[in-house]
Amino acid sequence: MVVVLVGAIIVIAAQILDQKLHYTSTDVVPGPIVPGTQYPDEAFTGIDVPQPIDFSHKIHAGDNEINCMFCHTYARRSKVSGIPPLSKCMGCHTVIATEKPEIQKLTAMWEKGESPQWNKVHDLPDFVHFTHQRHLKRFLFDNQELDVSDAKRVCSMCHGDIAEMTVAKKSRPLTMGFCIRCHEANEGPSDCTKCHK
Amino acid sequence: MNQSKLDRRQFLKGLGLGGAGVALAGCDLPSYVTLEQGEENVISYLAPNEYVIPGVGVWYASTCVGCSAGCGIHGRVREGRVLKLEGNPDSGVNMGRLCQMGQAALQHHFNPDRIANPMVRKNGALVEASWDEAIALINEKSKSGKAAWVTGTISGHQRVMAQTHLGAIGGSRHYAVEQINANVWKTACKDIINDPNPEIHLEKAKVIFSLGADFLGTFISPVHFAASYAEFRTPPRGTLIQAEPAMSLTGGNADHWVGIKPGSETALALGVANALMNNHGVAGNGISNATKTLINKHDPETVAGICAVPVGRIEKIAASLAANSPSLVLAGGSATGNANGYSAAAAALMLNQMLGNIGTTITAGRELAYPQLDLVEGNSANLKDLAIDANEGKIDVLFVSGANPLFLAPKSLKMLEGWNKVGFKVVLSSMLDETAEAADVVLPLASSLEDWGSHIPSYAKGTRNLALQQPLMEPVFPNTRGFGDVVLALAKDAGAPGLDDYDDYYGYLRSAISALKKTDSEKEWNGFLMAGQTQIPSLGRKLSYSDGKITPTMNDSDDGNLTLIASARMGMWDGRGANLPWLQESPDQISKVVWDSWAELHPKTAKSLGIKDGDYINIKSASGEVTTRAFIYKGIHPGAIAVPIGRGHSALGRYAKDNGVNPLSILNGASDSKTGEIATTATKVSVKSAGKNKQMAKLMEIDRQHGRKLVATISADKQRRTEGGA
Repeated sequence: MVVVLVGAIIVIAAQILDQKLHYTSTDVVPGPIVPGTQYPDEAFTGIDVPQPIDFSHKIHAGDNEINCMFCHTYARRSKVSGIPPLSKCMGCHTVIATEKPEIQKLTAMWEKGESPQWNKVHDLPDFVHFTHQRHLKRFLFDNQELDVSDAKRVCSMCHGDIAEMTVAKKSRPLTMGFCIRCHEANEGPSDCTKCHK
Repeated sequence: MNQSKLDRRQFLKGLGLGGAGVALAGCDLPSYVTLEQGEENVISYLAPNEYVIPGVGVWYASTCVGCSAGCGIHGRVREGRVLKLEGNPDSGVNMGRLCQMGQAALQHHFNPDRIANPMVRKNGALVEASWDEAIALINEKSKSGKAAWVTGTISGHQRVMAQTHLGAIGGSRHYAVEQINANVWKTACKDIINDPNPEIHLEKAKVIFSLGADFLGTFISPVHFAASYAEFRTPPRGTLIQAEPAMSLTGGNADHWVGIKPGSETALALGVANALMNNHGVAGNGISNATKTLINKHDPETVAGICAVPVGRIEKIAASLAANSPSLVLAGGSATGNANGYSAAAAALMLNQMLGNIGTTITAGRELAYPQLDLVEGNSANLKDLAIDANEGKIDVLFVSGANPLFLAPKSLKMLEGWNKVGFKVVLSSMLDETAEAADVVLPLASSLEDWGSHIPSYAKGTRNLALQQPLMEPVFPNTRGFGDVVLALAKDAGAPGLDDYDDYYGYLRSAISALKKTDSEKEWNGFLMAGQTQIPSLGRKLSYSDGKITPTMNDSDDGNLTLIASARMGMWDGRGANLPWLQESPDQISKVVWDSWAELHPKTAKSLGIKDGDYINIKSASGEVTTRAFIYKGIHPGAIAVPIGRGHSALGRYAKDNGVNPLSILNGASDSKTGEIATTATKVSVKSAGKNKQMAKLMEIDRQHGRKLVATISADKQRRTEGGA
């Protein structure tokens, strides 16, 4: 019994500590607002996760304004957004920017027939069922006030302003509280079994 | 055992408090507890197929090889891994349903104890070797001496391949070993109604009288019969009467369960026949005079004395069968598991003949136009033959796959002694079971979800299909090979003619099925694979009836010992399920025990022996002894003790090893006088307490509801009136 009580106290204390460590001020709004929605206003400072290739989201999605779904093509079809297959990268990079060292790394992998082992930045626990497909339908395809070409605004609701990052860094807490507050604000479902199947 | 102080009540209290703590913390649990960053890898595809979408499953058809029923399956494949199996709705065997053993095939596929590399015995121990080394050794050794194959039930092109190999190495005998089978019933059907595998229409019957046939659990094609049974139970609801010494899953579902004295099923059938003829004016067309004389000797009073079943109950069974036509009488399981097993099956068919069921609820099956593809049905008579032949030095080289003779054979058969006399033993297996551990060469096989194959289901209604098995994913253990691939290579090396065109078993199978279907088109082949089956030509059979030999005599000396019933269960089956945690964890259908063996004892017997529930007891036969815990329970004849088979392995991986006991090991070696099947209900044992008690791990600790109305009930009288007054 005592063990359980102490455990509960540790959990609560850690919670408070964790907020202090990781939550930045709530008036910092990462990324552009999505019209027609209640945009979540919670930020989080994630750790830097190194990746096998220093892929720059800024060059692709920011400077060149490539739609997120051009590469993350599975997001609108599946629960996972998926990492683009190497064949997609090579579609452009057999001719574009071939002199850059990171692209040469990529080409070497492609020629060897090896996929890079990316490190997962946004990792929900296995008991959470989250589907990209449904969220894109609600906030992008069914959203009359937003053009599909502006998909990155919707992505930024959970992923922050990726278009300004090199490799992705977590910038939203992605806790259950974060999910629930957004679901309440945007009238999403609140059944336990929607996410915990 | 030192029992922990924490009981369930305290555990729940703790859980509640812990839960409250978590609730206080709200839904913003610390990110480093639940949300990882950069801990897991995510690997992108190189160049995926168009239809591949990560996160979205694709279902592929294949065939379950968990038992010989040959159910069609659909496997859900996501990101290159098979994650879930379900029944194939297009399969005429299981019609979209799948039993627990089929579901658990995934755990066999991903089992951590699978054999990863070939092994060769060197200086008395099995050591890992390369395929080339193992195959070279086999090719060298298999040239000399008398060779034989041991398999389980085998059919389709795997059968052709194994027999081609056997022929090429100059072997003769193919032992098909299967502990759980319906060999006695099928032999009786062949002799008496001229069809070894007639169609059994449970759904058309108004009453089913089953002598030990556990058709919902272990009899021929349980998933198929469960579907027919559901139809049988839809209004107007049929009545099921089950007579058996120890309750099976089917017995648990019966309206009337008759706890009969082990081995007296034939007498009960004769008693019912007597009541039908004398009290209900059933003429008995087609029954020979000799059999009628036998029936006349078995009036219900005499039979009541033999079977320990009240006269009234025998008459009620007869009344129910006479009043409700068509009916169906089956025999299997414990009824056919003794020295007079064949008589019980013959008597059941005789009752069917008397009641006019032959042609209505039992109709002619169809015979394959290609008998070389048909099932070689395994039985335990072959197990006995194997032990005898090995001991007599008739086998020099032995190939084993899909069977575990060293686990199944009772000690009285001296299988291990025989095995050691065989000069060279090759085992093809995916798990290191008792037999593989004693082999000279072990070849690691692909799992059933990684392999190609074709199968003939052991039971089919209407047209006959060839069920197709295809790989659902890449091998989990890359150095394993498919059964067909290995045997094809061995057959080629042994100089079998006509195989040179085929590089692998897929090529052989594809070409053989193309020839069979007279089409070579890619589109049609893909169609067969998508359906998981393809129809093949068959010929109708015709039923006739001629009496079988019925000998009801029982040489039963009442020496105060109990009769051991080595009962069969869906789940552990003949022991092949013991290495799958899902099956170990799912409670037994009758006792609700998990992860251990038990011995069922009637409360009266237990009281007279001074045994309480959970007591460890010694069960001793002339050929051995096992010790397990007593499960006190009324669904068993007081003169019997039932121990389920399947546990008690000394090998087969971490989940199976040293868990429970194997009642087969202490059987006395008696067998059915006609078919040679090893009798599972004919061994006398003495039972005594081993002096220890430990609560068993089981669900549903009590069998009373304490007035909570968990299950709706009506009075027995009212229930009888709804069911034709039986």
